[in-house]
Amino acid sequence: MKVLSIGWKDILIFIKDRGALITSFLLPLLFIVVFSYAFSGIEDEDQVITLPVVNLDGGEVAGNLIEQVNSTAGVDTKLYEEADARAQVEGEQLEYALIVPAGFSDGVAAGQPVTLLLINAPNADPANAEAMRAVVDGVAKDLSLQTQLIAGFRQMGQMMQASGGEEAFTSDLAVAQAQSQFERAQTAPLVAIEKKTPDAIVQEREEFSAVGLTVPGATVLFVFLMASTTAMSLYSEKKTGTFRRLLAAPLAKAELLVGKMLPGFVIILAQVVVIFGASVLLLPLIGLDRLYLGNDIFALVVLSVLIALCSSSLGLLIAAFAKTEGQISGISVVAMWVMGAVSGAFVPTFFLGEFLGTIGKVTPHYWAVSAYTALFVRGQTLANIGPELAILTGFTAVFFAIGLWRFKFE
Amino acid sequence: MSEPILSCDGLRKVYGEHEAVKGVSLQIARGEVFGLLGPNGAGKTTTISMLTGLLEPTDGTITVDGMDVKRHTNEVKSKLGLVPQELALYPTLSARQNLLFFGRIYGLKGKELQQRVDEVLEMIGLTERANDAIEEYSGGMKRRVNIGAGLLHRPEVLFLDEPTVGVDPQSRNAIFESVEALNRSGMSVIYTTHYMEEAQRLCHRVAIVDSGELIALDTPTALIRSLGGGIIVIGLVEGYPEEIVDQAAQLPAVKAATRTDGQLKVETHRLQEALIGVLDITNKLDVGITSLELLEPNLESVFLHLTGKRLRE
Repeated sequence: MKVLSIGWKDILIFIKDRGALITSFLLPLLFIVVFSYAFSGIEDEDQVITLPVVNLDGGEVAGNLIEQVNSTAGVDTKLYEEADARAQVEGEQLEYALIVPAGFSDGVAAGQPVTLLLINAPNADPANAEAMRAVVDGVAKDLSLQTQLIAGFRQMGQMMQASGGEEAFTSDLAVAQAQSQFERAQTAPLVAIEKKTPDAIVQEREEFSAVGLTVPGATVLFVFLMASTTAMSLYSEKKTGTFRRLLAAPLAKAELLVGKMLPGFVIILAQVVVIFGASVLLLPLIGLDRLYLGNDIFALVVLSVLIALCSSSLGLLIAAFAKTEGQISGISVVAMWVMGAVSGAFVPTFFLGEFLGTIGKVTPHYWAVSAYTALFVRGQTLANIGPELAILTGFTAVFFAIGLWRFKFE
Repeated sequence: MSEPILSCDGLRKVYGEHEAVKGVSLQIARGEVFGLLGPNGAGKTTTISMLTGLLEPTDGTITVDGMDVKRHTNEVKSKLGLVPQELALYPTLSARQNLLFFGRIYGLKGKELQQRVDEVLEMIGLTERANDAIEEYSGGMKRRVNIGAGLLHRPEVLFLDEPTVGVDPQSRNAIFESVEALNRSGMSVIYTTHYMEEAQRLCHRVAIVDSGELIALDTPTALIRSLGGGIIVIGLVEGYPEEIVDQAAQLPAVKAATRTDGQLKVETHRLQEALIGVLDITNKLDVGITSLELLEPNLESVFLHLTGKRLRE
């Protein structure tokens, strides 16, 4: 009861602070709008992506296909054995692999429909995976058209031979045949691509969504910014003397601390609801994609609660070490903005490069963004984000334990 | 004394090498206004902090209403009220919101809480401004809410830590009247101050503390009486002969004469007679006087007598 009283008192103080309300609720939405617009047309032309390829066919057509994919700008192919490729994709060492099945070349030559298999790992970067699918699809379509056109002309030649040269091979006839084969290549291509993930993800998103990539980062950034608010609240309570007054009351220290951390936790959950709600309902009104909340709302709730706890615990840790308002601000800049920058909260990790991307993994932000992205962009479930949840729990426990140990009540 | 409401024995607080409180022992009677008088840095706030459970003593015991503070912490805290020196309030909340919050912390709830808050607001004269934010109040009004927050749960012992610092005379008077009224209703009050006149006006007994030590404890009257007629402090020109001190000490109306930092301090039974005698001596020895101060017997002069220092340097 006293915990709730302390929490409610701080929520009242928070509500009366217009600046805090704007920073916590409006600023994240502005951030999302700006960055979503910024990312919606970006392509990295200089980035070279390696496409692992398994060639089970070995025939001429398969070789041509692989060569044409390899000659596409920004793509390099690398051959793998099937078992190795599948194992590495399932183990998430490779993001994806293209499997050219046995009989591919013969099938294409015979004009029979064949299917290429593009397998994705659960951790595959959605933008890269989509790019790969598009590249292979493009090459496959060209190959289909080429093959079908050739088959079509051959057929015409055979027909002419059969007619003993009585029917002239006119240019109109050639164009009509080409046209027909072109349309057939579009609607019923010889070569199709099947995209698959080893863990049988229920629904694959096939479209790159700037909103889907921006919202996780913005949410995590501003949620962890609340840690400085929690820290400042503890500091202010000590500075104004009300902390001393509370310690003189029949109130356990644990009650006092939990009460001080509770508002941050509640406000973060409100933040998450507002950000996600606005991203679903309001962003489409200004021409952006609607945020897709994924297939597992329970996982979303669990993740959000855990991130809220992590942020509150981080606030306690900051309060335990910072002695002045300036120190809280300084630590917050590092903890929030720098950590946010290297973790993929500002921009997706594939923009950061390998070095920064690796550093980011020591931040809770990275794992939070990763988990949200898995839910929003790859449509994964609670079971898939187990590792991220475990790591975030670890961060929470460490922050809380050290914060509690170092926090001075006197 | 019947069983005291609060007692402490051998209370010590050590910070590293510095001993802030050195073995303070005292007992507070029920219904008493007990003063802790001493200059800034004497250890008054540290002592209060230990008595209210804010600080863990390095050594010593504290009992409140027969209960050991360590073993019955929450029960003891329920009986104590603290009005800290700083304004321990939430400035963006109203007086009513502040009082409701602190009331809940002390276990009040529902209708009882609402009624008690109304009573306290009435007591401190802020019913009409109850819903305004504290930050809009004058300093005196804030002090009144600060006191009110300590009274909500009807404590048996109220600690007032320098409640009139920075307060205008009118509000100061209002605080005195509040303390007297609370005491008439049966509340014991422990009042810390470095203003001698407050201690003399309000307190049944006064403990004089300096440098963490309790150096005197008695009623104001008894403490002042122990001093006799008063103290004469005469500033003399540099290089005055030691003889002047010896001659002054031998005057019939003088209890003691000492030389302190270029001043002659004379404790007397009879102030006027002693003054005439000392001035006569300085004349005969042709010693120039740079200053002259007559300290009527009061707690300030008691403090000076006991420590050689002033309450407010």
